[in-house]
Amino acid sequence: MSIEFRNVTKTFGGACVVDDLSLEVRDGEFIVLLGPSGCGKTTTLRMLAGLETITSGDIIINGERVNDVPTQHRDLAMVFQSYALYPHMTIAENIGYPLRVRKLEKADRTARVQRVAAMLEIESLLERKPRQLSGGERQRVALARAIVREPRAYLMDEPLSNLDARLRVQMRGELKRLQHQLGTTTIYVTHDQAEAMTLASRVAVMKKGRLQQFDTPLNIYNHPANRFVAEFVGSPSMNFIEKGDVTIGIRPEHIQVLTTPEDGALEARVYVTELMGNETFVFLSTGDNRLIARAPADFRADVDTKVWLRIATDKIHRFDPVTGELLPQRRSGATESAK
Amino acid sequence: MLSTQKVQKSQKRVYVPLVSFVHFVVLLATLVFALAPVYWMLTISFKTEGEQFASPPPWFIFTPTLEHYYDAFVTRSFGRYLLTSAIVAVTSTILALVIGTLAAYALARFELPLKLNRRLSLWILSTRMFPAIVTAVPLFLMMRDVRLLNTRAALIIVYTAFNLPFVVWMMRGFFADLPRDLEEAALVDGDSRLGALVRIVLPLVTPGLAATAVFCLIVSWNEFLFALVLTQTDAAMTLPVGIAGRVTQYEIKWGVMSAAASVAIVPILVFALALQRYLVRGLSMGAVKG
Repeated sequence: MSIEFRNVTKTFGGACVVDDLSLEVRDGEFIVLLGPSGCGKTTTLRMLAGLETITSGDIIINGERVNDVPTQHRDLAMVFQSYALYPHMTIAENIGYPLRVRKLEKADRTARVQRVAAMLEIESLLERKPRQLSGGERQRVALARAIVREPRAYLMDEPLSNLDARLRVQMRGELKRLQHQLGTTTIYVTHDQAEAMTLASRVAVMKKGRLQQFDTPLNIYNHPANRFVAEFVGSPSMNFIEKGDVTIGIRPEHIQVLTTPEDGALEARVYVTELMGNETFVFLSTGDNRLIARAPADFRADVDTKVWLRIATDKIHRFDPVTGELLPQRRSGATESAK
Repeated sequence: MLSTQKVQKSQKRVYVPLVSFVHFVVLLATLVFALAPVYWMLTISFKTEGEQFASPPPWFIFTPTLEHYYDAFVTRSFGRYLLTSAIVAVTSTILALVIGTLAAYALARFELPLKLNRRLSLWILSTRMFPAIVTAVPLFLMMRDVRLLNTRAALIIVYTAFNLPFVVWMMRGFFADLPRDLEEAALVDGDSRLGALVRIVLPLVTPGLAATAVFCLIVSWNEFLFALVLTQTDAAMTLPVGIAGRVTQYEIKWGVMSAAASVAIVPILVFALALQRYLVRGLSMGAVKG
């Protein structure tokens, strides 16, 4: 199913939450809306679900304008951050609810609930109530309820944020596998850039209601459109150095820390090192700037020792210090020759 | 850790008997205070007239008789009053619950223009801010004009109107405490608003609904003023008015009144007991998130 946002704007009592959003989602894509809290990503999803009215602009599903189509007729499934399981129903009743309101035969209903439960390995829970389930199990039930009726698209609002770190990584993988298996268009909202990078076929980065960049995870990472995207995506975050009329951005893995001086290398002091097991994050200070570099796991340096940094100049990003927009690669050279 | 637990436990043991003794005394005092009039009424309903006025009164030992019950429900028309009371109270409670719940849901969930959610709610509440007797004469005149005096319908209409603000405010609170996610999930799952209300929301506010229902029923069952003003004939007289009617210029029929009043307690008691498991949860709903 294809989805299109056409100049969609949403205001809440004067405050603009989503600002002139245009976005095209192709059939079968896994789209992640990524941004910090309050960036309008959840509102965007809720407008698509029909749970929020659209102030101006159009939302188009399979070529049909759905602005005025009520939620229950849009045939989308949504997984809520809170899972929103019906507490008074058993798990089987929860999963079967979308089928029940569609007046499916009871036998047919039971069979489909069984099939989905088997797929998500929750058959043993079917007779229980939601409150008897752990967070991870509830998550699976919420997914099952979404999957059972084979909707036109899945909408997911931070579905993994209530799980502990280990389970989150595990479910993340299962989600990806599931979407691959079902091939259904999915719109997924998160503030976790790691989820965005791993799950998405394309990522839409949002900030304060405005779309910043809409591209594949790799392009978002390697060619961020502006300073905000560069900073938000990647962990640890990109380093920024103010240098006259330009802000230079460089990712931690593109700074090599040397313990002996070298021609053209930048002198710095070790602020602290953090051993992560497979690698070491080196926090450095050079002049007024603080930088982070990735070093091999066996890298050792005491606090305050002098080191030298070799920066991969071809990996440098240049941003406008005022607007944060990406500047053309050779800009500083060009201005020099103009003078 | 283990030793501190032991110490705490032994300290608890010292206090428990004293605390439970105080609890016992306070509860006993409360019970005596609350139930003494009921006991008095019950015993009078079973006493002969001679024993009713004996001094000192026979507190516990007397010759029980059913003559007052016979008098009230066979000789006189208290059976009919009881039926009227039941019809009026149950019908008005159901009406108030249906209308009030729908109104409360709309006020809790739909955003109305011009801050109408707040304004309408306050307006609804304001209809209960003056003494009921203020409306007695206007209501009498209105009911006379539409020829509803001395009918059960008049009482049903008035009691429904009287209970509505209460239902709206109680239920609005219960709805507001319920996470919106659940209804939204139901909508996304393909259900209609009304379907989500019936299948998801109402089952979850059952305790609140039960508490509200008991309250409405008690109010309607015990109402005296409007019943007195709007009904004068046996055709539409409720129990409270019928009982009060036994106080006449010439005599006060204590036995008949007590017998009728004792019977009047039973339906409310049964209803409240049947809903007991919901009542406490309903009255404390929203106090603790859970």
